[in-house]
Amino acid sequence: MTTLLTEERGSAEVAARAVGTKDRTKSLRTASWYATALFVCAVMVVPLLWMITIGLKSRSAVFEVPPRLFPNEFHFENFIKGPEAIRFPRLLLNSSIITALSVFGGVLTAMMAGYALARLRFPGRKIWFYLFVGSMLLPGVVGLIPLFQMYKSIGWYDTWLPLIVPAFFGGNPLFIFLARQYFLAIPYSIDEAAKIDGAGHFRIFTQVMLPLTKPAWITMSILAFQASWNDYLNPLVYLYSSEKWPLAVGMASFISPFAGQTPDWSYYMATNLLYMLPPLILFFAAQRYFIQGLGSLGSTTQK
Amino acid sequence: MTAARRPDTARPKGRLQARGAGSDTKAAYVFIGPAVIGFTVFVVYPLIRSFYLALTKYNGLSDPIFVGFDNFRRLFTVDPAFWPAMRATAYLVLLYVPLSLAIGLALAVFCNQKFRGVRIVRTMAYLPVVLPAVATITLWKFILNPQVGLMNTILEKLHLPTSQWLASPTMSMPSIVIVMLWGVGSTMIIFLAALQAVPTELYEAAKVDGAGPYSVFFRITMPMISPIMLLQVILQTTAALQTFNQPKILTDGGPGFSTNVLMLSIYKNGFSNLGRIPQLGYASAQVWVLFIVIIAVIALTAKFSSLWTYSDNSAD
Repeated sequence: MTTLLTEERGSAEVAARAVGTKDRTKSLRTASWYATALFVCAVMVVPLLWMITIGLKSRSAVFEVPPRLFPNEFHFENFIKGPEAIRFPRLLLNSSIITALSVFGGVLTAMMAGYALARLRFPGRKIWFYLFVGSMLLPGVVGLIPLFQMYKSIGWYDTWLPLIVPAFFGGNPLFIFLARQYFLAIPYSIDEAAKIDGAGHFRIFTQVMLPLTKPAWITMSILAFQASWNDYLNPLVYLYSSEKWPLAVGMASFISPFAGQTPDWSYYMATNLLYMLPPLILFFAAQRYFIQGLGSLGSTTQK
Repeated sequence: MTAARRPDTARPKGRLQARGAGSDTKAAYVFIGPAVIGFTVFVVYPLIRSFYLALTKYNGLSDPIFVGFDNFRRLFTVDPAFWPAMRATAYLVLLYVPLSLAIGLALAVFCNQKFRGVRIVRTMAYLPVVLPAVATITLWKFILNPQVGLMNTILEKLHLPTSQWLASPTMSMPSIVIVMLWGVGSTMIIFLAALQAVPTELYEAAKVDGAGPYSVFFRITMPMISPIMLLQVILQTTAALQTFNQPKILTDGGPGFSTNVLMLSIYKNGFSNLGRIPQLGYASAQVWVLFIVIIAVIALTAKFSSLWTYSDNSAD
């Protein structure tokens, strides 16, 4: 959390220097800032705390009226029994394989395309750039039915291939765009020097460009991880067998009531927390890249 | 990779020409190749194919039968679920998009101030965005439970009126919008980037001229971020028109048809085989209705954008 607190010393010093009547209005303003800040944080965090509370309650305590905001006894075994109820380890493994492969494929091929678009001269360069950028606006829903049918006819229905293979073909057009923007910012003298030393494009790409574009592909990897880990519609459409499901589909099915049975919310919330944990950890570990990467997205689209 | 090795130094021309002039073409297509294939197979082909399917009767098993515009005629005149779906989609967009932009911008302005701990607020506001949709939506399903949910508990403690939320046909869509607004951090972060790109000299000049905070906001900030605002209107509307996860998980379209948005209706017609035969041709026709609405929204927004966006012609 130290990175969060390093900024904004200046305002406090300015406030300290303020004198007289200004002092009072200033402190009133500061108080209202903090009240707002507290409110925003509460709205975002309280639902998550509520989830943990339910995850710790006993099955019957969940349905107490009025509900208790704090459990009166703690049931840590929910964190074992909940995951068991949906074969969590299996689904976790499925999600991990699908996500790892689609992150690798999506980022690699987008970086390759970005390299070609930004640093190589070839006929059709502009056209491909505009086609890729244009396809960002194309709604994904248009492809849903024809792709479903295509995968079905080549025997990919109920396999992971529809969730993984498209990533190896450029993945997300947004990534191609981001990659190109980063590659454009690198001085051309660098690859000219490498060329004089006899390096081919493959070596320039892997040994010169990839180290220089680390923020770009880390940002993309994080976004690709989330997109794959959080995706619900695609696995729902393409996967029929429950043993092939990723966590998203497994978790959603957890609470759909079978034959009038009420879902077991305390088990569910405990498991839900485990499902959220990987993206949560990643977010806090890579915050810097998040803000940086998305910030550059905001400023590049402006041009 | 042999072509790539050809030494460019053999042609001692200008820098630009040494890099170009054909020697890169082969290498370029090796690098861009996967994306080009992907574009053809996963974008162009489905686009053409889905239009064809929209004109057929097709159940996914036997061959599609060409029926012309019959699916569209059925949608607009016969299907009792279509117009409610259009209504629900429009309601969702009109409620969600303005709120998301207004709250997102307000949060961004707030998070762009300098005070101790502002980064924590930024992080917290963005936090729900990174969490899996299924996880957060199901959490909200429980929060909005009328009897034992957190929402009504808090409202009761504050002596405010409670609601049936998702179970009520009038409150179901506003409830879905509340859940979607929890992810307002995604709107905020892009506005924040735009705000930080506004040159500080403009603010300093305004301060010298004695401008108050409101005139600074409406005369400097808003015009400067209007291109991003335009982008956000397009992105948010396009995304909202394709909302699927929230109505699917929270209400499955109910109660009645109150939250049965177009995407959910497409899914139900095309994929959810609850003992029914999938109607892929019919669902494709609905996809094209949605697609045309999306194109129309983008075109209209872009057309009228010159009225309220500021563009600096001196920049490139």
